[in-house]
Amino acid sequence: MRERFSTKTGMRRLPSAAISGIRNAALAALFLAGICAPISASAAPAGCAALQAKYPAWKGKTLVNAINPHTPGYEAIDPKDPDKYVGFDIDLGEQIGDCLGFKLTYKAVTFAALLTTLSSGQADIVISDIYATKERAKAADFITYSKVFDGVLVAKGNPKKINGINTSMCGAAAAENTGFVEVPLVQDLVPKCKAEGKPEPTLQLYDNNANCIQAILAGRADTYVNDVNTVDQAVKANPDKLEKAIAVTIPYSVGIAVPKDKPEFRDSVLAALIEIQKAGIHKELLKKWELDPNNFKEPDILSAD
Amino acid sequence: MSLFAHYLSLPYLLEGIWFTVMVTALGLAGGLILGVVLAAMQLSRFWVLAAFARGYTVIFRGTPLILQMVFAYDALPQIGLKLSAVGAAGLALAANEAPFIAEMLRAGVLGIDRGQILAGQALGMTPALLMRRIIAPQAIRTMIPAFGNETVSALKNSSLASVISVQELTLRSTQLASSTFDFFSIFFASGLIYLVLTSGVSVVQLLVERALDLDRTPRQARLAIFLPWRRVDLASKLKLAEQASSAADLAHSPPLDVPAPLPRAASRSDRAKHAAMVQRNNVAVEVTGLRKSYGGQTVLNGLDLTVRVGEVVALLGPSGSGKSTLLRCINHLEDWDSGMVRVGGRRLGHRDDGRRLSPRAIANERASVGVGMVFQQFNLFGHLTARENVAGPLRWVHGMTRIDADRRACELLERVGLGDRADALPRHLSGGQQQRVAIARALAPNPSVLLLDEPTSALDPELVNEVLEVIRRLAIDDGLTMVISTHQIRFADEVADRVAFLSGGSILEEGPAHDILSNPRNPVMARFLSAMEADKAPEGAA
Repeated sequence: MRERFSTKTGMRRLPSAAISGIRNAALAALFLAGICAPISASAAPAGCAALQAKYPAWKGKTLVNAINPHTPGYEAIDPKDPDKYVGFDIDLGEQIGDCLGFKLTYKAVTFAALLTTLSSGQADIVISDIYATKERAKAADFITYSKVFDGVLVAKGNPKKINGINTSMCGAAAAENTGFVEVPLVQDLVPKCKAEGKPEPTLQLYDNNANCIQAILAGRADTYVNDVNTVDQAVKANPDKLEKAIAVTIPYSVGIAVPKDKPEFRDSVLAALIEIQKAGIHKELLKKWELDPNNFKEPDILSAD
Repeated sequence: MSLFAHYLSLPYLLEGIWFTVMVTALGLAGGLILGVVLAAMQLSRFWVLAAFARGYTVIFRGTPLILQMVFAYDALPQIGLKLSAVGAAGLALAANEAPFIAEMLRAGVLGIDRGQILAGQALGMTPALLMRRIIAPQAIRTMIPAFGNETVSALKNSSLASVISVQELTLRSTQLASSTFDFFSIFFASGLIYLVLTSGVSVVQLLVERALDLDRTPRQARLAIFLPWRRVDLASKLKLAEQASSAADLAHSPPLDVPAPLPRAASRSDRAKHAAMVQRNNVAVEVTGLRKSYGGQTVLNGLDLTVRVGEVVALLGPSGSGKSTLLRCINHLEDWDSGMVRVGGRRLGHRDDGRRLSPRAIANERASVGVGMVFQQFNLFGHLTARENVAGPLRWVHGMTRIDADRRACELLERVGLGDRADALPRHLSGGQQQRVAIARALAPNPSVLLLDEPTSALDPELVNEVLEVIRRLAIDDGLTMVISTHQIRFADEVADRVAFLSGGSILEEGPAHDILSNPRNPVMARFLSAMEADKAPEGAA
């Protein structure tokens, strides 16, 4: 299985139509090699053939996956070859595509723009470590696939003694990505801090992961709460400046977002995900990307109705 | 930071430049097109267009570009207009740049000296022709620095396209930073790339400024320094210098090539004969019951004036008496409230059925009726040489070929004593020389009437004579029909057949020049004349 993943990396290109005009010859050759790489339908789980027969509408199509590629491990550009996106979500999307017979191209947008990009029709699907909440389900349907563990990133030595999303954050400055579910969690602390007579926590909103981490490194923010794997990666990159205070569970699941007006597509993605999990590929991918196996979750649909 | 050089040469980032440049180019090109339309609407005579353009400007200048980008990308698809990310970013940037570019264009157009536009109109140039030949070439020169600014700002603003997934430099930098955690090396690298791009814009701006600089030595002359036969060039330079110094002399001493003042007519009886003869000629200009007021101020108060072919009429009167306004009405550079102006028997400014003409039709009418005009402030076209000032309108308005127009221009410049200054720009000519070029320009299309609006008032005293001499010769040698407003009483006495004294917008007294000037009957005119004499007194006493 592992080998298969490595041969497939050539497929994961940036929105290629837009770039093709300026690609140099070497890159173009690489790109062609990617297209021509032998990826047989037989590689997909057995049940996928039946799914392709049942949901033929997307077979042979190329769909657009909107991502916020600032989360190494889930979706980020490959530092060795920045023309590629890599990560767990990327692999999972490719697997779903293989199963249903479609290919994916990627559209990089800010986190807050993921769902608007989907609902405006600029993208067909969003697989970008986005937490499925009731609020967000008003804008899109979700197929949930992963549990959420958040890490609390702080400066080395945890000077503010923060030990969770709780009143230990009173008076602290929290860096967050615009549109992240952690934002309301921190905001909810305001009345609690007031009740205890402590200063309120303040929020600094940035538009990507890197900026949030920089905010702590620059001493502007005291903490940044995000997916535990992202936090671990940040600590790994700056071991003498950052540390993870604690990991916490968040009452959400990570979901794949699809347009609300395409229930058939939603159902086909759900069915494909079930097949992929049955074949053990989901767990394999968690292992490949060194993610906690406890993330594994049987898929569900979250929709507003 | 060790990886700085690595990121600087990373194809991934370098390819991002292409998107940055693409969005910038789309934004600027679209903004320029849209800006021209907006500026034209704002400058138009029709208030609805102007109001619409104003409204657009308020909205698109008043909202952040980032919102416009998101709107073009996410909202337009809702109405079925799904542009690519680069397309949407280009559209938003164009829509945002347009009001700024429009204001630049408007400032450039409004910055053109109003007098040049009047002069162009007087020469029969239509609004479109004026825009193309007079306003645009000069406005563009003044707008280049602003346009350079706008280009740099658009280039930087293109980074906002990162929010709508355009793979430009900023988006690629942030993505790279997120996956490598190598924040500073990457941003220093992309910052340097931006700097190189904006410096490129500055270089282009300077080159364009240089290329359009009217004072620049022609390329050949500059290159000639490096050529082995440059001594030949030096020789011709010396010759040029000689010419230049003799031209400078011309400005200070009485011009050598303008003959010494001739007495207007040998005797009083000759002059009376000329005046009497002229009175039998056809009517060249007929003004009846002309009224005009600005606000509550009456400028022309039922004025009547008849000028016959070959006649020279001097308009005298204090400032504000309506002399200039009367001249402008005769050329229909200004509208009037009531009354009639006929030139060569044609009623100006109205169609046969009495309806008003459009500005374009008025321009064509001016060209065909043939009324030349010389202004107090010369109003030469600043970007054109003396020769082009004369020849240009002949080609554009009268359809003359370049060869014929140039020949005519040279001939006329020769006649006003400026044959050797044909290639000089107006700003390199003295006031007197400029006014002589202006006279040549007004004469070029062979006008039936020449109107001169205080032609020497803006000149230094020592330059007045060279201009008066040219006018005197036109009157005597060519028998040209002229209406001159002037404060030069002696000149009026020498040149004019008839003098009309204006005060408060009507003619108080008129009659044969010498009679009236030496023996005014109207007390207001007598006072005016004695005041002018008193003014001259110190000079006379010295």
